[in-house]
Amino acid sequence: MKHLLPKSLIGQLLALVAVTLLIAQGINIVLLYRGAQNQKIVEASVSAVGRITGEIERMNERRFRELRPRRDDRPRRRRNRPSVSTESAISVGQSRLSVVEERAALGFENMGITVLAVEVARVDRLPPDMINNVIGHGRGRQQTLRAVGYRNLPNAIDGYVLMSAQIADGQWMNIASVIRDRNPQLVRTLLFQTAVIYLILLIPLIWLGRNISRPLKALTKAAENFKPGESEPIEESGPPDTRQLIAAFNEMNDRVGAMLDEKDVMLGAIGHDLRTPLAALRVRVESVEDDAERERMVAGIGDMDRTLDDILSLARLGRTNDTAEPTDISALIETVADEFTDMGADVSFTRSGRITGNIRATLIRRALRNVIGNAVTYGKQAAVSVDKDGDRLVIHVDDEGPGIPDDQIAAMFEPFARAEKSRNRETGGSGLGLTLARAIVRDHGGDIVLQNREEGGLRASLILNLD
Amino acid sequence: MSGKTHILLVDDEASLREPLAEYLTKQGFRVQQASDASQARSVMNAFNFDIILLDIMMPGEDGLSFCRHVREKTETPVIFISAKGEELDRIVGLELGADDYVTKPFSPRELIARIKVVLRRTNGGNGVTSGSGSIYQFSGWTLKTDQRSLIDSEGVTVPLSSGEYQMLLVLLSRAGQVLNRDQLLDITQGREAHAFDRAVDNQISRLRRKIEADPKNPEIIKTVWGGGYVLAGDVKTL
Repeated sequence: MKHLLPKSLIGQLLALVAVTLLIAQGINIVLLYRGAQNQKIVEASVSAVGRITGEIERMNERRFRELRPRRDDRPRRRRNRPSVSTESAISVGQSRLSVVEERAALGFENMGITVLAVEVARVDRLPPDMINNVIGHGRGRQQTLRAVGYRNLPNAIDGYVLMSAQIADGQWMNIASVIRDRNPQLVRTLLFQTAVIYLILLIPLIWLGRNISRPLKALTKAAENFKPGESEPIEESGPPDTRQLIAAFNEMNDRVGAMLDEKDVMLGAIGHDLRTPLAALRVRVESVEDDAERERMVAGIGDMDRTLDDILSLARLGRTNDTAEPTDISALIETVADEFTDMGADVSFTRSGRITGNIRATLIRRALRNVIGNAVTYGKQAAVSVDKDGDRLVIHVDDEGPGIPDDQIAAMFEPFARAEKSRNRETGGSGLGLTLARAIVRDHGGDIVLQNREEGGLRASLILNLD
Repeated sequence: MSGKTHILLVDDEASLREPLAEYLTKQGFRVQQASDASQARSVMNAFNFDIILLDIMMPGEDGLSFCRHVREKTETPVIFISAKGEELDRIVGLELGADDYVTKPFSPRELIARIKVVLRRTNGGNGVTSGSGSIYQFSGWTLKTDQRSLIDSEGVTVPLSSGEYQMLLVLLSRAGQVLNRDQLLDITQGREAHAFDRAVDNQISRLRRKIEADPKNPEIIKTVWGGGYVLAGDVKTL
């Protein structure tokens, strides 16, 4: 059932209104229908009361004058007039319409007729003995109705009201009255009405909903593509609530942008203020006489510089001004591999044709350097291979080292994590290499996966999206 | 000229400027110091310099602006020395007509090597003004020196190491001219040729792998019998 629910705000709003409206209209229809049903019965009962009253009055005038038998001895047709019997026409078990009975009694009283009891029941079929005591079968009725301009004449007979009034002990006057549908199109009318309400209500609702959801959609899109400080402010539109939300979002965007600008300025200052003394130190180191000592100092300064560089790059990632450009990634890997080979490291890469991808080459070069550097440092050598699958490029860097226990692999991406437990600097590096590499690759919509190879050693896989 | 290379060193940081000046003097250069752009201007009025080492981030007028000023007036080569290592700054610096760019902290020996390379390029007659944002077009390739990027006919960037870039630049700037290994080493590395010849061959073969359709039968960088390389084909300089 859940998937039937509309997902959008406007969809849910419309569904809710539609369902609520349907229920309300349903209740309305039931009430109206029942009202109409009652009305029909009351109408029929009123005629019955009238007819019984008329008959009683006539009888009172004629004082129990027996009707003359017809000359041919056939019983006189007493059509449309109440029959008189010793018992009520309504049998004991029949369900009676007590409300109508009360009203009929009231009717008799209003007209100054005394009846001892009134019994009213509704029947679907006319009892055979009442066939000549029915009101409403006549044709005159239709003409009358037409005369007052009643169109769509209803013909359907919807049962009968039987009314028996006790006028004296053992003397009941019985009449049946046809119940007619006053307006058989009631349901159709109601459905039409419902449809009209739907239209009147839903059109402005749809408009309102779109008015709310359009700016919300724009907001969602802006939030998804949020580039701190770079995103254009969204136009404030929609109802006041939405406008406020958008204004708040725009303000947040500005604040985040300002914060990041501040951070950039600070990082720039840190970079400058640390590198200048480092450079001074580097120059002074040249005057150290002892070659070994000087080399150690140079290496130390180099280490500090690289760490600083890693930290700054990590902090700046996502805010670089470089744009992704189509680049030959095999040539890039080859360049990095050559750099390592030149330094005497054992890095192999067999180039297999050109692989073009939209990347920021300086960053990816750095990620590759870090990953291959790890392989060389901890795993003696690095064998680089590529695996292209559609838009997905995987660069595998395999080493011959001891690997990493599986439960520690995730921790390797933490800043300052190292393969050895101690933070010993002898193996060099800042401990940010893999963190930075992963951040770079993720910034390109990819990821880095580390896994121990079955034949021993670690495999680091850089996954890149090439679109 | 007094025979010694005359260097103008502009940097607001005395802690770096002074030891560097001292070091350069020891290495046989004549060095004049300036702590900001205005001081540098007045010193430039008094002396002729062979090369200017210029810091970018300085209080008052910054190095980029001063470099523009220098370019308008003289041909004196400029090497930027800056703590800003971002790609963009390098490009901006080179676009302004600087000849090279070193980032702090740098190896002083490397700085001297670069000074020599720049001087050799600018004094060597048909000099390569690598920095001044020139574009070389050859055999379907484009080399943009301001970004140090090599782009193929489809617009794809092919990354080069700095050694490969230098090698290609030298070959391009002397297209059609046969250069032997010593010359190539000398111009590209700017160091006394203690590196072996193999280094040149290595760079050449790597370059060929990147730019030749068939690296085994090179059409662009050809080997000349007797020990040398030449860049064949038309080279357009924009």
